[in-house]
Amino acid sequence: MAETAVKTAEEVKAPKAPKAAKVEKAPKEKKAKGLRIPYERRKALYGYGFLSIWILGTIYFFLRPLLVSLWYSLNVTEVTLGEMKTQFAGIQNYIDAFRKDTDYTEALLAVLKDTLWRTPLIIIFAIFIAVILNQKFKGRTFARAVFFLPVIIATGPVITIINGDMDTSGYSGGADQFSTMFETDMAGALLNFLGVYNISDQVTEIISLMTSDIFNLVWSTGIQIIIFLAALQGIPVSAKEAASIEGATAWEFFWKITLPYISPMIVVNLVYTIVDSFVAPNNAVMTLVLQEASAWNHGYSAAMAWAYFLIVILALCIVFPIVNKFVYYEV
Amino acid sequence: MATAKEKAPKAPKAPKVKKQKEISQSKIEREFEKERAAHLKAKRAAYKAAKKAGTLDDRQLTSEHLGYLRRKAIFNKVWPIFRFLILFGLCFVILYPLIYMVSTAFRPSVQMTDPSVIWLPKSLTLSNIIDTWETMDFGPTLLNTILLNLVCSLLSVGVCAITGYGFARFDFKGKALMFGIVIMQIIVPPQITVIPLYLQWAFFDCFGLVDVLASAGATTFMGIKILTNASGGHYVSLIDNPIVMYAPAIFVNGIKSGLFVFIFRQFFKGLPKELEDAAYLDGCGPIKTFLKVMVPNASSSFLTVFLFSIVWYWNDYYVSSTFFISNHTVALALQKLSATLDQTLFNGAQVGTRKKIVWLESGCLLTIAPILVMYVFLQKHFTEGLARSGLVG
Repeated sequence: MAETAVKTAEEVKAPKAPKAAKVEKAPKEKKAKGLRIPYERRKALYGYGFLSIWILGTIYFFLRPLLVSLWYSLNVTEVTLGEMKTQFAGIQNYIDAFRKDTDYTEALLAVLKDTLWRTPLIIIFAIFIAVILNQKFKGRTFARAVFFLPVIIATGPVITIINGDMDTSGYSGGADQFSTMFETDMAGALLNFLGVYNISDQVTEIISLMTSDIFNLVWSTGIQIIIFLAALQGIPVSAKEAASIEGATAWEFFWKITLPYISPMIVVNLVYTIVDSFVAPNNAVMTLVLQEASAWNHGYSAAMAWAYFLIVILALCIVFPIVNKFVYYEV
Repeated sequence: MATAKEKAPKAPKAPKVKKQKEISQSKIEREFEKERAAHLKAKRAAYKAAKKAGTLDDRQLTSEHLGYLRRKAIFNKVWPIFRFLILFGLCFVILYPLIYMVSTAFRPSVQMTDPSVIWLPKSLTLSNIIDTWETMDFGPTLLNTILLNLVCSLLSVGVCAITGYGFARFDFKGKALMFGIVIMQIIVPPQITVIPLYLQWAFFDCFGLVDVLASAGATTFMGIKILTNASGGHYVSLIDNPIVMYAPAIFVNGIKSGLFVFIFRQFFKGLPKELEDAAYLDGCGPIKTFLKVMVPNASSSFLTVFLFSIVWYWNDYYVSSTFFISNHTVALALQKLSATLDQTLFNGAQVGTRKKIVWLESGCLLTIAPILVMYVFLQKHFTEGLARSGLVG
């Protein structure tokens, strides 16, 4: 690869000869024709050149481990000195995961359910905040900085300590304490206040679930807000102008101008949110996978991870085309 | 519009031009707003005058118009109050843990159980911080982390840019497939690949080189002792060696590299093609074009990706906890802090978290302090950089 790169590098200079002199030089070009690599192919070679580092690295650090883990998932594994012993077992690991392991399906359903109700909430919340942060007011820079702060912190171990997950023995810090402010009682009291008494328990439960999770919700929308903000700033002035001349209210403006313009970013955010929620190291399935791996059941753990991963892909494949249908692309 | 020829010498200044355009756009908006307000005022005055004179006709505003304007005025008065309340509440939700952290980290442990102390401690102390500093061995750990972090981030940014450029501007067979793999790298959680990777590092034979060296009589490879496995092969264990972080970073497979490649690809795709054509015409090869024309233009992208890379490497504890056992980074030290506190402060007794809160929170504070300081000063590059760097659109 390197040799061809050098060779082509020299040759690139040759055709750069001034175009005006083309007629003169025509005979010369004919001579060299046999040696020359066509422009398209030369560019392709450069493409491979630019990607060569990535190709090497991806094969060794990504594809190989990926395939090896797929292989493990089809085997019974045992760690010995200096190597991993495998014994082919077909899809037994997968069958075990779904049919014998009570924790796995439960965790899987929990994660799916969690993602299902949290994703739309996150998207709506992010749009709402982005629209607010896009308005002009004093302290906007500060507000933006604060809303983005979780992205800086939330990926680290700090958040697990903050969340009080680190120890189950009544840690009174962070989210736990905070969410008690929004507990069931409050939702109930609010409903009573509004004159709603005999609402079904399930609805109350959902509401309290949402309100008690407001902390996590706010803490996981940083990136989404930024993406929406950028999209909002991309709305052309002419559209705003037209809307305001036609006398659109803020409400109409949001539905007829804002939403269509940011709809492509809704897809981006949707995919991002789903992936983020599935891949989060603190979700139930991921913890389970890790737990099995640290118990030296590498084959079984790999099977769990792969089954989970395939479900994630499937979910994306279902969601993406459906949402894409409602997107407005400016032509 | 500038032609390709004119653009070439201006190449590195392109982003600035864009900025100017944005500024002028908001200026236009403001002027438009002013004009409209003045116009409405005149119209309203005309309406009043016409009503007084009893000569209302088509040229004046209707009562519908006035209603709309009145409603709008009320909305404009009330909305800022609501907006303030919403933002204040949510900012509080976000800052709550930080306020709590600061509040607890500097109070004596006794006051945690004092019901009369909620936010403001009765006395301040630095002893928690000092204890935690010693427990985490913070000085050397911090230096180690910074070194690891900077090297990995710098390598990562460089190679991700090269790869992103390759994806953005060249056409070749298998590009779609390769880009699919990049997307896979974003989606596949590290949990899947981490075990085979662990084995690759723990039983590293450097593509057979170690075997050759061992049969030649060497006992060490790069200063690491050569070991022998059950079937007679030779390997070195790179666990705890920082190479396990550096090597993937230099080969575009560091933490979140997939995402960075994606960002760079989007950014480079968004740059005008004329920039490169001009450079090609002036006799630059693709490599020189990339270094001299594209890189200077992408400086904002570089900064953003670099900052994010630093943050993610700083926060990473999953990958590093798998590969590092005694090689401490700040995130790892924090992860183990609860257990090590038992050893250092409570003589090995298992103590509930409740009793250790002050130390844990000071640990958190110490851990995020460097990142937080960086964020405060470079906030703009984080929030606006991501938007500008082409992840969007």
